[in-house]
Amino acid sequence: MKRLCIPLLILLLAGAALPSLAQDMLAYPSDLSACEVDMTGETLTVFHFGDLSGPYAFITQPIISAMNDAISYWNGQGGVCGAQLEQVYEDTGGNREAAQSAYDRFTSQYPDELDLLMLYSSDDGELLREQLAADEIVSYISAGSIESLYGEDGMTPGWLYASNPLYINQFGFFCQFVAASPETFPDPVIGFVTWPNAFGRAGTEPAAREYCANLGVDVLEEPQFFLPTDTDILTQVQNATDAGANIIYTNSLASGPALIAGTLVDLGLEEDVKLAGVNWVMDTTVGLLGQRVLKPNGLPSVDGMFGSMPFRWWSEVSHPAVQFVYQQFSINQRAIAEQNIAYLVSWGVIDSIIETYIRTVNRVGSLDAVTGADIRDTVESMDYAVLGGLFQARFEEGMRDGAMNRIAVMKYANADMSGPATGPADALLVDGPSGKMFVPLVLPLTDFMPVPQLRSQ
Amino acid sequence: MTEFINRNRRHLTWALYALVAVLILLFVGDQLAGKRAARVVQTLISGVLVGGVYGLVALGIVVINKASGVFNFAHGWMMVVGGMIFWSFFTVSEISVPGALLLSTATMLMIMSTVSWRTLREGRNPLITVGGIVLLTALMTVGGIEFQWLHALAGTFAGAILTGLAVERFAIRPLIGQPLFTAVLMTLAVAEVLHGVTQIAWGTVELNLPIFVDPHTNSRFRPIRLDAFRDLLDGVAIVRVELIIAFVLAIIAFAGFIVFFRYTSVGLAMRATSEDQQLAQSVGLRVRVILAITWAVAAFLASIAGVLQGGAVGLSLNISYVALRVFPAVLLGGLESIAGALIGGIIIGIVEQFGTLLNSSEQVGTNLAPYLVLMLVLIIRPDGLFGEKRIERI
Amino acid sequence: MANIHPAGVFDTTYEQDMSVDRTARDKLWKNLAFVALLLVPLASVSGPLELGWISDQYVGLIARISIFVIAVQGLNILVGYTGQISLGHAAFMAIGAYGSAIMARELGFSFWTALPASALLTGAIGLLFGLPSLRVKGFYLAMATLAAQFIIPWVLRYPLEDLTGGPRPLSVPAPIIGPFVAYADDELTDGEPFAFQAGDPYFVDVISLELTDATAYTVVELVNPAGDVLPYGDVSMTVSRDSAGNITRLTYIASKAGEYQAVVRAEAGGSFKAVVRRSKALSFATDIAMYYIIVPLAVLLMFLARNIIRTRTGRAFVSVRDNDLAAELLGINVFGYKLRAFFLSAVYAGIAGCLLAFERNSLSLYAFELDISIEMLAMLIIGGAGFPLGAMFGVTFIRILQEAFIPFLRPWLADFLPQLFPFVDAVNITSAINPIVFGGALIIFLALEPRGIAHRWEVLKAAWKLRPYAY
Repeated sequence: MKRLCIPLLILLLAGAALPSLAQDMLAYPSDLSACEVDMTGETLTVFHFGDLSGPYAFITQPIISAMNDAISYWNGQGGVCGAQLEQVYEDTGGNREAAQSAYDRFTSQYPDELDLLMLYSSDDGELLREQLAADEIVSYISAGSIESLYGEDGMTPGWLYASNPLYINQFGFFCQFVAASPETFPDPVIGFVTWPNAFGRAGTEPAAREYCANLGVDVLEEPQFFLPTDTDILTQVQNATDAGANIIYTNSLASGPALIAGTLVDLGLEEDVKLAGVNWVMDTTVGLLGQRVLKPNGLPSVDGMFGSMPFRWWSEVSHPAVQFVYQQFSINQRAIAEQNIAYLVSWGVIDSIIETYIRTVNRVGSLDAVTGADIRDTVESMDYAVLGGLFQARFEEGMRDGAMNRIAVMKYANADMSGPATGPADALLVDGPSGKMFVPLVLPLTDFMPVPQLRSQ
Repeated sequence: MTEFINRNRRHLTWALYALVAVLILLFVGDQLAGKRAARVVQTLISGVLVGGVYGLVALGIVVINKASGVFNFAHGWMMVVGGMIFWSFFTVSEISVPGALLLSTATMLMIMSTVSWRTLREGRNPLITVGGIVLLTALMTVGGIEFQWLHALAGTFAGAILTGLAVERFAIRPLIGQPLFTAVLMTLAVAEVLHGVTQIAWGTVELNLPIFVDPHTNSRFRPIRLDAFRDLLDGVAIVRVELIIAFVLAIIAFAGFIVFFRYTSVGLAMRATSEDQQLAQSVGLRVRVILAITWAVAAFLASIAGVLQGGAVGLSLNISYVALRVFPAVLLGGLESIAGALIGGIIIGIVEQFGTLLNSSEQVGTNLAPYLVLMLVLIIRPDGLFGEKRIERI
Repeated sequence: MANIHPAGVFDTTYEQDMSVDRTARDKLWKNLAFVALLLVPLASVSGPLELGWISDQYVGLIARISIFVIAVQGLNILVGYTGQISLGHAAFMAIGAYGSAIMARELGFSFWTALPASALLTGAIGLLFGLPSLRVKGFYLAMATLAAQFIIPWVLRYPLEDLTGGPRPLSVPAPIIGPFVAYADDELTDGEPFAFQAGDPYFVDVISLELTDATAYTVVELVNPAGDVLPYGDVSMTVSRDSAGNITRLTYIASKAGEYQAVVRAEAGGSFKAVVRRSKALSFATDIAMYYIIVPLAVLLMFLARNIIRTRTGRAFVSVRDNDLAAELLGINVFGYKLRAFFLSAVYAGIAGCLLAFERNSLSLYAFELDISIEMLAMLIIGGAGFPLGAMFGVTFIRILQEAFIPFLRPWLADFLPQLFPFVDAVNITSAINPIVFGGALIIFLALEPRGIAHRWEVLKAAWKLRPYAY
């Protein structure tokens, strides 16, 4: 009964720049290392667990779709150096007990196979950090907290590697961007309106405030917290703007940024106050939910929102990684709501897991002989363009989070898909499940540049 | 001295309460003095309107508690299911007829078999069943997208009643005569199942439910700006239209229920059932039917609240947590009081908003103030503001 | 349950009538069960005997079950015996956990002193939140404890943020006994590496470093003999810093066999004075060692709870539950006993929280939210509120359902269910398996056995003892 009109939108979102789908399969974009060891007949197991039915389910579910699609793609291609891919995963519902139990089960059922584990949430990373080190298991996580990657003092070694820059570094990077564009941000004062959990308040630390102040960007000391269940956040937004904020920065997902943007429009502040956030605000869900409120100029409320974009996004249709993932996405007939960051990045994570294994096996000699320490050696010396440049996996000098970032802006496509719309007249409107829909675009504003290192001060 | 205290106990207690109230007011007033008048008015408006939504959620919990004495932990998930069903019918232009037929058949069968499956065959009941199925299916599928409100309301009505009756039939009814707390726990299990069902049917991704939209721009209604009071308030306060609609709906629902419980025979029977199920049965009330009606009504109320909340912020699994935030409102008003649910909701709404106004960097509004108020009220009035005083006998 | 004896067994003395173990065979079985429980880690894969009969995951599982058995037994005293519903039990665990962690981190308490101290602290706070029970009853009281569930984490998170780290995780040192054999004592100067050797995971080397008079920022690096910085994980480390961020004390606990070196270096020509002390200690960092703290403690606390109920206090609890007005008329100080129940319940929660902190070595406020309180209540009701074994049955049932049954079914269901519902997105079904199986199992279970497993157990026991005669 539902989602009948959705495939239409998928076609439009990136379709214009793509060759006809039915024609030929695109080549795998990644520059994987050559197989020196034949692993035919063996099984390469991808382990991952995280919250599929708990509070973050709305962003994590596409991970499973991407994992399924990527694994069936690889097995259809004859596997990785002959080895068939397989996945073992568990739904922890965002619960620590369940995460611990899943970890115990994985480690005791697969004592030899489990050398590399993908985690979704930094809370799991914090819980397992010492255990991963003791059991010598490397873990990939998309965005870890400081504590999960670097311990309580921000400088302890660890076995977790994140593909995104730390949230605090993303915030510092945004301050750089603000300081460098005085015409867009005159007299910048940043106020936090954000979720209250550890993720939400990353970046409110004094170190970040000090760093930004040195760049000439004031950051309000008091963050304003709101909950995902809040119906009305006028009070929080007004607290921030009354204190002088002309930029609102948020670490929230899905309805969070959309709610703030809508409130700004309600208050008539959409021109005076800019909205910005972490990499997760630059997401399809935000683009779709942000259409509930239109600005006086007729474009959705989140039009013009800034955010970090440490990897390529769906709208960069000329990039081979995006083209490839998009083709797979269409072949597997995924719903538009799954066309988000999690789907894209999960393909990248699978690619980096495969590359990690190929390199390690080439060095060690066989899949059975691989240990967590070998994987770690590979990761530490890796400098690899994941999926041919979706993001860069490079961890050196004790850095275990993403080093590069860019700033992007959320826009909506214009009618001939050639760029952003300037108003409702030239915007591309398609039939969506809830009436006419604008098509979100994420446009990078800067190149990839190194982020400032703000932890451990 | 002791004698004096004993004799004037009542006055002294009230004097003490008044003293505490004055101290709190002084403290809050001092804090508020630094704020613009517009902010204070705005916070009050937001608090009352949000409180209306809380009241509506609280009402559903209170109705079940009033009729069966069970505190319903599944209410939040009933909201989600109701909202999602509404979304399915509201946003799809071509309703699948087999789907609608299936839903209305299941609903009618559940309604007609409330007492037992045998009643389905008795008298004119088969006719009524078929008629109901045809009517509901027709309402759900007639016309195109221009009838979306009709489709959605009919669909939500059927879906909510089906949910409520199914919960009552398969989860609560087997526990009649068992310890009450087992039934409370059963609602937790039901919540888990509804959670799973929601994820299967609608996934986890947040959905946009465009019910409060201006047909011209297809975007949400513009808020009403109180420009007339700009000078008086030193700023402009705004009122969100969708919250007013929600508030008005809440008031109507409340008025309806107050009348229902006070003047209709079913309402009276419900109250009697909640007093003592065995006694009610022995005077000839059909406890099963009454409990079934209660759950269906509560599920429908939950659906309304889910639709309103979903329309205001977006439909996601997070809506289920709104019910948790409403617990203090339910208790503040009193577990058995319909009016209390509304007043409790509004008080909690106002307390939350003012807490946020004064200190939102430490979550005073959402995580501390409502519970402090709850503790205070419970210590002064152990049965909530409007709850029934229980007279106990040995 | 009435006192039922096997046919032919009669009580002849009052002591016999009152004894916990009715017959010698009862006692034998109980002791055997306890010994078997203690043997589990020894038979596990990574146990010291390397027998490999039992998978390691069950050692962790039993330990986690035991921790929650303690907490739920506390809830049983309050809810099951005294009839006061509590929705704030997880918050009391949080006090025990954070209290003990802060005592260990900031005040230099060892685990052994932090355990009782944090239990008493939790008890005291439990008393505070028990005060409303003077006036408030029934579900209203449940909601007063709900206030505890929100106010306590709020206090831990905001006013006490300097101690607890707020929403950030807090690491907790593993319990050790000792250090007792100090075998070396050195003074260090700049840049000179000092070596140490580690033996096994139980009898560990503790290297403690006291730094004083630092004139510049000083770093301590752990290296292997080649001079490379070592991967973390072989050695755990606790650091104390002064207000300026300089290291004042640093302790390495090396649990993995091997040779290590550490270097202390001051930046930019600064100087410092360092004293290194090498000693041995018995460490409980491993799951297996922790098991021997947790499980005996759980058994002891179960036994204590069982016996409290047989005292005057316990009978007073039950009378308050059954009818508080009648109890008052009989001269029982109802409020006093309610407070005692709150105190005891909170003490149990505090012990469980403390064990959780030291077993997990990482604390987060998110582990003590309302859903955990509700889950514990569910465990109690399912196990059987008001039965001495109710807590054990309930926790075991729920945990086995969640951690063994659902993971076992999941791969099969993930294949089968999408075939059953081909019109639904397979991913949606996969991620819905956990809640739906868990909820469904609970519904079936509650409908079939609404009084809890312990009730069924008593019925079975009676039937067994009365065999072959039914009455």
